[in-house]
Amino acid sequence: MSKDLEHAFVTELENNQNIVHKVCTLYTNDRDAHNDLFQEITIQLWKAYPKFRGDAKFSTWMYRVALNTAITLYRKSKRRVNTQDYESVIFKIKADEYDETEELQLKLMYKAVKQLGDIEKALVFLYLEDKNYTEISETLGISEVNARVKMNRIKKKLKTILNP
Amino acid sequence: MDELDILKKDWQKREIEHPKLSYNDIYKMIWKKSSSIVKWIFIISILEFVLPNLLYLLPSTRERMSIYYTNDSSTFFIVLSGIQYLVIFYFIFQFYKRYKEISVLDDARTLMKNIIKTRRTVKHYVIFSLSMILLTMSLFAASFYFDPNMLTAVYPNEIPEGLTEEKLRTIMAISFIVVALLTTALLALIYFLLYGLLLKKLNRNYHELKKMEI
Repeated sequence: MSKDLEHAFVTELENNQNIVHKVCTLYTNDRDAHNDLFQEITIQLWKAYPKFRGDAKFSTWMYRVALNTAITLYRKSKRRVNTQDYESVIFKIKADEYDETEELQLKLMYKAVKQLGDIEKALVFLYLEDKNYTEISETLGISEVNARVKMNRIKKKLKTILNP
Repeated sequence: MDELDILKKDWQKREIEHPKLSYNDIYKMIWKKSSSIVKWIFIISILEFVLPNLLYLLPSTRERMSIYYTNDSSTFFIVLSGIQYLVIFYFIFQFYKRYKEISVLDDARTLMKNIIKTRRTVKHYVIFSLSMILLTMSLFAASFYFDPNMLTAVYPNEIPEGLTEEKLRTIMAISFIVVALLTTALLALIYFLLYGLLLKKLNRNYHELKKMEI
């Protein structure tokens, strides 16, 4: 039975790992930290998995656990040496798909998002993942109205970062 | 279309350029130990509950404690430690109850609130423990001053030349109070530094969420 559970969990996470990678990318600045956070999220997901089964879609449930881990539970576990400009690696734009101006603009935008606070990042992340305000407010535990208000403020803040 | 919507279009298409993890990579991860702050709070709290009580197991402490039971104030100290244990059990029960309420499946705000509530229980416990240390030591100091048997129990030798018995009692009492104050201050400092560092991020994020709701 527990073998089945392990198998089901690992398969689901393997298929949905992109969500976790995206959270890790937003909240960390180098590859070691990324892997570290990924691991912690995996542990938290696995611990909560028996309670989850059947309730909602696996991916929906992942958002909540992954963000909770990144915002609240995760502590950097070791000192790291920053080896390279990680953002530029992760958010590298494929040259054949974009023209240069757009590429530069996107790059700046990703950089701006990374300058936001933890909670702001969570809102932006859910927004980028096309979650509606009901889902955003339920994930963060704030009212829908306040989620909207905050989102508008974040948009303004991003504009200021981009056009100082 | 604002900036974020341009980003959204790109984000949806994008696969993060991180090496994809294999089934085995993930399988190995689920057996690793968590290093979440909840786990740290749990470990530190258990230590806080256990360590002061372990002190009583040391022979030297026990010997010193036996003084309590050989003088007039003994009943008082026995009652005091009885109450102390009742309160400690109450705190442990509260802590366990709140710890169990912490769930990663809650929304972010509830999760943070429950962690803060659990920590608050431990904080109250620590304040209680430190007050008890201070109180016991002060009572000890007072009994030095007022109870002559106490002095003979701790200091069976002859009183050194140049010192009267009263002077010796005063010195003993004052040094007890100083030691008590220093110990309490040091323990409080360690405790608040530890939790301050551990919960810095959580507190910051919780306040930001709370600020939104005003």
